[in-house]
Amino acid sequence: MSQAATDKPDSPEPKRSNGFRISRRAFLGVSAAAAAVLTVVLALRRPKLAEPVETQTTKAVDTQQLIPTSCLNCPTRCAIRVRKVQTTAGETKVVRIFGNPNSTYSEGKCCSRSHVGLQVLYNPDRFQTPLIRTSGTKGRGVNFETDFEVASWEDAMTAIAGRLPTAPGRLLILEGLNTTSNEDLIRQFALAYGTPNLFVEDGLETDADREGKMLADGRSNSWYELQAEDETSTKYILAFSAGIVESERPLARNLHLWGELRRGTPNRTKVVSFDPRYSVTACRADEWVPINPGTEGALAMAIAHVILSEGLYDSDFINNYADGFNKYRTVAMTQRFSPESVSEIAGVSADAIVRIAREFAQSKPAIAWSGEAATSWPYGTFASHAIYCLNALVGSIDVPGGIVYQQYPPYAVMPTEGLPITETGISFQKMAELLRDRGINTAIGFNSNLIMSVPESKEGGKWDETLKNLFYVHIGPAKSEMAAYADVILPACTYLEDWGYESAIPGSGYAEARIKQPVVEPRDESRPTARILFDLTSVTPLAGPFSPVPSTPEEFPLAFAQYRTSPFIGWVDFQSVGVWKGSSYSYRSYAFGTTSGKFEFHSDHLERLLNVRLPGEDTVYPLELAIYRPVLEIRSGSQNFPWAQEMYLVMHGRGWKNLVEINRETAHEYGIGEGDEVIVESVFGEIEGEARVLEGMRPGVVAIATGQGHFASGRFADGMGANPNDVIGTEYDEESGQPSFFATRVKVRKA
Amino acid sequence: MARWGMVIDLDKCVGCQACSLACKAENNVPHGSPYEQKRHQDMYWHKVIAATEGEYPAVNTQIIPMPCMHCEHPPCVTVCPAKATFKREDGIVMQNFRRCIGCRYCMVACPYGARNFNFKTQESEEYQRPDLPPDLDLGFASHIGPWPYPHRTRGVVEKCTYCFHRIDQALERGWEIGSKIDGEDGVLPACVEACPTEARYFGDLDDPDSAVSRLLASRTYMELREEMGTDPQTRYLPR
Repeated sequence: MSQAATDKPDSPEPKRSNGFRISRRAFLGVSAAAAAVLTVVLALRRPKLAEPVETQTTKAVDTQQLIPTSCLNCPTRCAIRVRKVQTTAGETKVVRIFGNPNSTYSEGKCCSRSHVGLQVLYNPDRFQTPLIRTSGTKGRGVNFETDFEVASWEDAMTAIAGRLPTAPGRLLILEGLNTTSNEDLIRQFALAYGTPNLFVEDGLETDADREGKMLADGRSNSWYELQAEDETSTKYILAFSAGIVESERPLARNLHLWGELRRGTPNRTKVVSFDPRYSVTACRADEWVPINPGTEGALAMAIAHVILSEGLYDSDFINNYADGFNKYRTVAMTQRFSPESVSEIAGVSADAIVRIAREFAQSKPAIAWSGEAATSWPYGTFASHAIYCLNALVGSIDVPGGIVYQQYPPYAVMPTEGLPITETGISFQKMAELLRDRGINTAIGFNSNLIMSVPESKEGGKWDETLKNLFYVHIGPAKSEMAAYADVILPACTYLEDWGYESAIPGSGYAEARIKQPVVEPRDESRPTARILFDLTSVTPLAGPFSPVPSTPEEFPLAFAQYRTSPFIGWVDFQSVGVWKGSSYSYRSYAFGTTSGKFEFHSDHLERLLNVRLPGEDTVYPLELAIYRPVLEIRSGSQNFPWAQEMYLVMHGRGWKNLVEINRETAHEYGIGEGDEVIVESVFGEIEGEARVLEGMRPGVVAIATGQGHFASGRFADGMGANPNDVIGTEYDEESGQPSFFATRVKVRKA
Repeated sequence: MARWGMVIDLDKCVGCQACSLACKAENNVPHGSPYEQKRHQDMYWHKVIAATEGEYPAVNTQIIPMPCMHCEHPPCVTVCPAKATFKREDGIVMQNFRRCIGCRYCMVACPYGARNFNFKTQESEEYQRPDLPPDLDLGFASHIGPWPYPHRTRGVVEKCTYCFHRIDQALERGWEIGSKIDGEDGVLPACVEACPTEARYFGDLDDPDSAVSRLLASRTYMELREEMGTDPQTRYLPR
């Protein structure tokens, strides 16, 4: 540095000669010689042209493995294979994720979310050690470095043991997205501990839909098959606000079969999308029919009206396997459900309803698919039921390409003594009431991110206050909003470091199990969820048996997975193949779980479907707020993944945020232009966002993508966009207790 | 010598962007940031774009996956003053990072926006591909390596390579392009292999029996910006 300073031309010191003198001629000569030497050296060092690729490749990589395991970035849990390499320098790295061709569920394909797994594993904002809160306020403004102190696993476990309530009913267990094996263990832990309060966050978006279907057939495992193993395909799909290729599960299967149905079969499947929003599904469908929000149920009844009055229904199925049909027909045939009457509510022409109803009834097998936006209403269960009944009308129940009932792998038994806890746990409404009544003072969250996905999630809101009053133990791999409310944080490993098994979710009919095996050793001090549960049981007095497998804490996750899968596959096979497939699905068994043993048409609630609020009915809050889930919303609760962030909204070519999407005419009416900063306000609060003015939106509707608006998830997620749940109010579905996310009215103004 | 081409069925594509993500992972393309996205400085060797036309309710959005078109007459090659970008015999348009002087003429010339300028030094914590060799031999024109791994070069232009390394290595091992090899991932470009709807096809355009040739023969296809006379080797099957 000082040398450079003295060499400056404006330096007051004259330059000193070093005594070395050389003439210009000699200098040129030396330079030429040096250049010649250098040329020869470079030419010799140049790689030979014919050097084989193979040898150079092996220089970089010592060993590489393709390890079968399964994904957990959404509830579909696809079978994947992970490429791990070990370089000659001794570095181990997970570099790619592929589908597993041994899985027929989605023909070895996996969706875009699976690739993000690398960033889930190498997330720079993962917890390295257990943390115990020492100071600071919970929630927004948390600082994981200063508000918590680093603890050993023993200290953290002791801290938890001292605080778990002696009255089991005062403990709430929150279950986010977890491996099937861990879900089984979490339920087992709840049973053994004695608490019935297990809340499964998956139910936040699916409870009403499932409830409506159960009302009809008494089964909780029905789903749309799309294509049977013998390649019988669905011929007609009515998507009632269902984002079949965006967010509807099982996504990878949907995506793969979408290609198959459109081009892989002789008769291309027709898809009609009823949706207020021009979603990706609506865009890729043959027909987009924009409707008023929340009128899907009414529309389904109008379609039923046409099918019934024209005698297009499947009388064979109705006569033999249905109950309550006559009463349903009488109600559905009334004038209120005629295409003309419903067209006024739904905003669809009566002609279109009649035409689509005829097409739907005459192309078999046809399915009517109810999406989240159709069922997240106060009458969501009824809407789901009405849409589901269309499938029965056209005889698509339990037939190839229609509705099938998922089978599950025959796992080894678990101890079952204790409380009756269903797979879906308690309802959202029940949980909210328990918390409000202070019936619960302690909660344990397993990869939970409840605060991001409940209505009124805003700061100072109901949930913010409630969570601050709890003693909360957060178990998860990385920073998240729920961790910000934690008193103790236990670092769980990600799905790429864990032992376990996954069951295929409803969709294929036949059962499929997939292995979860560690691709790399757990990073830092993180531990498998199964082991954390095992350790918890040793510091907590439990009423019943927790585990069917005697084991040591370290061995437990593997031993449990081996025990449970032992009835159907050998562990070594499972490890190398990665997938176990059950026997082919047998159709037309019509094993309904209803009291009548038949498919039940209910008609008492049909009136309710006509009683909807429409955009513009309110002068203060004239617009209806709709939320949607883009394909790259990673469903594990975090969004701290730059690849997913930067291409978040494919329809808008934008990332790192969500947008306030609004129809051009509506925007004009409120003086809003493209790219304006706007405030979306409801009675529950307000959020700010960038306006996106577009044509593909029903006038009077504002749509905002979920998955953004994080405040404690890490460097790539925090401060990106806004969480629409902040302004959504709490109303419940009248039957299932699911929050009705779509029933909130808003106004939009320039910021 | 094969003439590689890609066919993308827009009827099957649903814009899930698995292709873009697989490309990022395979080619170790750095991720951007909100700042970079605002300035269009973030890098995508492959991107899915959406073009909307029409008025409510008659809206039509085309979702178009965009790799490099690997033109038969690539304007980028014509304008490059440093001969850093060149066309291989098998039709793949390559970029030699060591020759590139960063003038970005090619980016101006490319009608498809398929090229990216690398504005930043890659951070060490980004997802490297240590398994990919730094100097995969490509013959004389590029013997000093067009390979951006394990660290890429700041201040040069980058682009899609049709995953030439996967193709070359497969041919070297005697595998047929598009075949399934046990214990390996597919012998295809990463985006083609990752596509869950199987909307993408890759193969030899000169071979009349290849899947791509048969598709092009059986359905009408389109080329983006056909009027520019670039003759792209990435072609699209419209709905």
